[in-house]
Amino acid sequence: MFRALSRARMILPVVAFCAAYAVLAMFVTNSYHQLTLTLVAVWAIFGLSWNLLSGMTGLISFGHAAFFGLGAYTVALLFAKLGLTPWFGIPVATVLGGLAGLLIGLPTFRLRGHYFALAMLAYPLALLNIFLWLGHQEVSLPLIRERGWAYMQFTDQRVYILLVVGLLLASMISMRVVERSRYGLALTAIKQNEAAAEAVGIDTRRLKLITITASGAVAGMIGGFHAVILLVVTPEAVFGMLISAQALTVAMFGGVGTVWGPVLGALVLIPLGETLHARFGAVLPGVQGVVFGVAIVAVILLAPEGLYWKVADLLRNRRKTGAAAPLAAGALPSAAAMPCGGRQPARTPLGPDAPVILQAEGVSRAFGGVKAVQEVSFSVRQGEILGIIGPNGAGKTTLFNLLNGFVRPDAGRVLLDGRDVTGLPPNRLCRLGVGRTFQVVRPFARMSVADNVMSGARAADGIEEARARARAAMQRVGLGGLMDVRAGTLSNLNLRLMELARALAGRPRLLLLDETFAGLGGPEVEKLLGVIRGIAAEGVTVVIIEHTLHAMVRLVDRFVVLDHGAVLAEGLPEEVTGNPAVIEAYLGSKWSARAGD
Amino acid sequence: MLISGKGVLRPTRRDLLAGGAALAGSGLLPGMVRAQPAEGGTVKVGLLVPLSGIYSRFGQLMRMGAELGIKHVNEQGGVPSLGGAKLELRLFDAGDSTEKAKNAAQRMVADNPDLVACSGAYLSSFTLSATEVTERAELPMLTLSYSDLITTRGFRYVFQTSAKAGDQAKEALPILLDLAQRAAGKRPETVAILTDNTASSLSFVQPIRENAAKFGLRIVMDETFTPPLSDATQLIQKVRSARPDVMVMPITVISDVKLLIEKMNEFGLGRGRVPTIGNGIAMAQSDLLQNIRPAQMEGFITVVGNWDAKGQEAIIEEFKRVSGEPWMGQNSIATYGDIWIMRDALEKAGRADRRAVAEALRTIDITGGAALYYPGRRVKFDATGLRETAGPVVVQWQNNRPVTVYPGDSATAEIFWLKR
Repeated sequence: MFRALSRARMILPVVAFCAAYAVLAMFVTNSYHQLTLTLVAVWAIFGLSWNLLSGMTGLISFGHAAFFGLGAYTVALLFAKLGLTPWFGIPVATVLGGLAGLLIGLPTFRLRGHYFALAMLAYPLALLNIFLWLGHQEVSLPLIRERGWAYMQFTDQRVYILLVVGLLLASMISMRVVERSRYGLALTAIKQNEAAAEAVGIDTRRLKLITITASGAVAGMIGGFHAVILLVVTPEAVFGMLISAQALTVAMFGGVGTVWGPVLGALVLIPLGETLHARFGAVLPGVQGVVFGVAIVAVILLAPEGLYWKVADLLRNRRKTGAAAPLAAGALPSAAAMPCGGRQPARTPLGPDAPVILQAEGVSRAFGGVKAVQEVSFSVRQGEILGIIGPNGAGKTTLFNLLNGFVRPDAGRVLLDGRDVTGLPPNRLCRLGVGRTFQVVRPFARMSVADNVMSGARAADGIEEARARARAAMQRVGLGGLMDVRAGTLSNLNLRLMELARALAGRPRLLLLDETFAGLGGPEVEKLLGVIRGIAAEGVTVVIIEHTLHAMVRLVDRFVVLDHGAVLAEGLPEEVTGNPAVIEAYLGSKWSARAGD
Repeated sequence: MLISGKGVLRPTRRDLLAGGAALAGSGLLPGMVRAQPAEGGTVKVGLLVPLSGIYSRFGQLMRMGAELGIKHVNEQGGVPSLGGAKLELRLFDAGDSTEKAKNAAQRMVADNPDLVACSGAYLSSFTLSATEVTERAELPMLTLSYSDLITTRGFRYVFQTSAKAGDQAKEALPILLDLAQRAAGKRPETVAILTDNTASSLSFVQPIRENAAKFGLRIVMDETFTPPLSDATQLIQKVRSARPDVMVMPITVISDVKLLIEKMNEFGLGRGRVPTIGNGIAMAQSDLLQNIRPAQMEGFITVVGNWDAKGQEAIIEEFKRVSGEPWMGQNSIATYGDIWIMRDALEKAGRADRRAVAEALRTIDITGGAALYYPGRRVKFDATGLRETAGPVVVQWQNNRPVTVYPGDSATAEIFWLKR
């Protein structure tokens, strides 16, 4: 993504693959092998549709058969009941699949994680019974003996291969374009961390709805085409558990999150299943299922991320050893070596008349009986570094979530530049210039540092702009030399810096940092301090949460101390650290008594 | 083997499996050893049935029937008009889904251009998709599947040997009422309907709901449930308070059959006290013996497409001996018969060619030979490919086994209906 690919490099391999597939298929004369070749492409496209939603956004769907089946029934019923040709039926199926995606997405995206996956499971099961109840146990596509082509019926089965390869080509190219676009960038951001994606300005709900609509449309289209191949549509054959599983199997076997994954998976699994069935089905009935299952288990064990990634890793390793590993020799220039510490622009001291950028007015929030934040009021002035400290459980993270819209306050207001922003969703706040990092860093281990950072660049202004922002942000935190390194190999410090860069890529005016120092050792803290000071010196206002004091004292201009959800003290570092109430909150009354002596 | 309370040999599952394996061995090996002496010497016919997956049990029963049929045809001179050519059976696994069934059919026609006819594919939806392939390949396919769609698509290479589901349901009610009148001297006046919500069960009760009044029947109870049941007490309680003269109870899941019938016996409604009529083979398949004491099944009636019939005794005995099955049943007997139809069609065609065999099937009209294995005792297909005299077969549990009680020329016993 960060490294731009030319149109040609993006699309040529796909075109070459599809062309080769089609040409080779033309030499196949056995009608059974022709059918298998058709089915490979059918399941590859279905896998691609699943990959678009689940592979790219990480929202696992166990119910893609819902769209597939609706497509199949659309084509079958239009043909059998109204005499409408599949040439017309398949586009209708595509539209209906998309609509179904939207309708299913609207309620289901209220759920997350496993709950989303399980809820998706319910749709095909429900549809299966609805179609049984409607009396469509078996819908047979009429056989047209004259002018069959008008009804997508061909005596030469190779025509089907050409048709489906055409669909495959279109699907692969569009997915490839999506993968490399701002839209794809935003999807990866969602997969990485949905909350973080919101925080960098992505309207995740809208984006997820668009994605499930597109995914449903592709699944509906290929379901419709499959009806033409199957010729008899039954609820079990198109809504069954195995259909949903088929999408997952080919995608996971081949590799999730890449266009080639489902294609590779289908290319191996479908002929394998068929061959096993043909060879053993009538001799040792059932053994084909065992062999097939063992093959899948073996691949999952040996290549847990799928064949594509395994092969990619092998190639990468070979290339690395071949090229004498310049990276290894250069010993992964760590951020420490970067001049971030040296380039330390002096901060202009904060004038007493600096305008207030953020203001909390009596903000409260309770979770059940627990009053996490009560009547908290404070203000942050432009250019300031404000530390919010407090012992564990003081309500710091909840306060952060209230400030940037993840949680709505029960009472009180949040003002940004004097404007009431209470209850605005995080992505809107982000567009108003509020950036945020998270306590737990969840990077994309496989993606380069640059791509990880780029997922934070607000995707609204074009991919080139996003690249420029990502580059600038990485240089600001001193990750400039590590742009192409895979995130999975980064040290803890560099991960923190990457997270920081990701927030900076959104060009915030106000940056909320959540426990950025957690888990870092002394020298690492020093480096990070330097980076944050540098950011502040460039005029970005910083609000930082910590529960450890020692680093903060040297960083912040002012402290707000929270305890039991309320403001305990507020003031300059030296005032706060001498405050007996603060010492008591942190260390207990014994220490505060000693401090008072 | 287990000896049940009444001294009847009851095979255990292991015996059945061993029997099946023995049969498979005996059936397969000679075919392989024979290894096709001369090209004109054998004629290949196909059997496309589920040999793996959840329907494999039924596929195995059909395979046993087909293998016995092949053996008998070959022992009795093969196809005389082809110089005594022997039949050779090729097996194809239809698997457990319509897609697999269709793929298997495609494989069958692609890899075996010398097949002249085939039989299959057990489940109606499998048959529908498989015949899409065989039709295009102009390979005649015989089937016992019930679906109305099979012969209403304008296909010319499919031949349906049993009555269509819609017709079975429509014809069954008057037949049963007549049987009841003859046996008990009085026509039933009230009917209860207790059905699961599977497609075939619902299509069976549909005409009964619509036509009950026409036959002077009052519906006193009408319950539909979703299988599987966890407890049948409430349903049977309702039957007891409704006290119908007759109950229609099409059940497709064997565990539901067990629960309902045991509960009826517990409530004293079994043994024909509430004459109960099912549909399909779930209430008569031999697997029931492993789940329920056969004495409890006494008196229960089910409507099927084909069953062990009068005049087939020797074949049934041999089948029981080689297969270890307690009776032959619809799937085995119909597939056995299909092999004989193929043989008779080949004989008529005089050529081992699939189009010639199809043409012979379209014009065949016999009341001997293969006709013995089908209710109505005649093999003649109408223009759509439906066997003309196909009608429902009524089977009733008597003395621990299901026996044919209708039609009269097939019946091996009189129906048993309590006089009230």
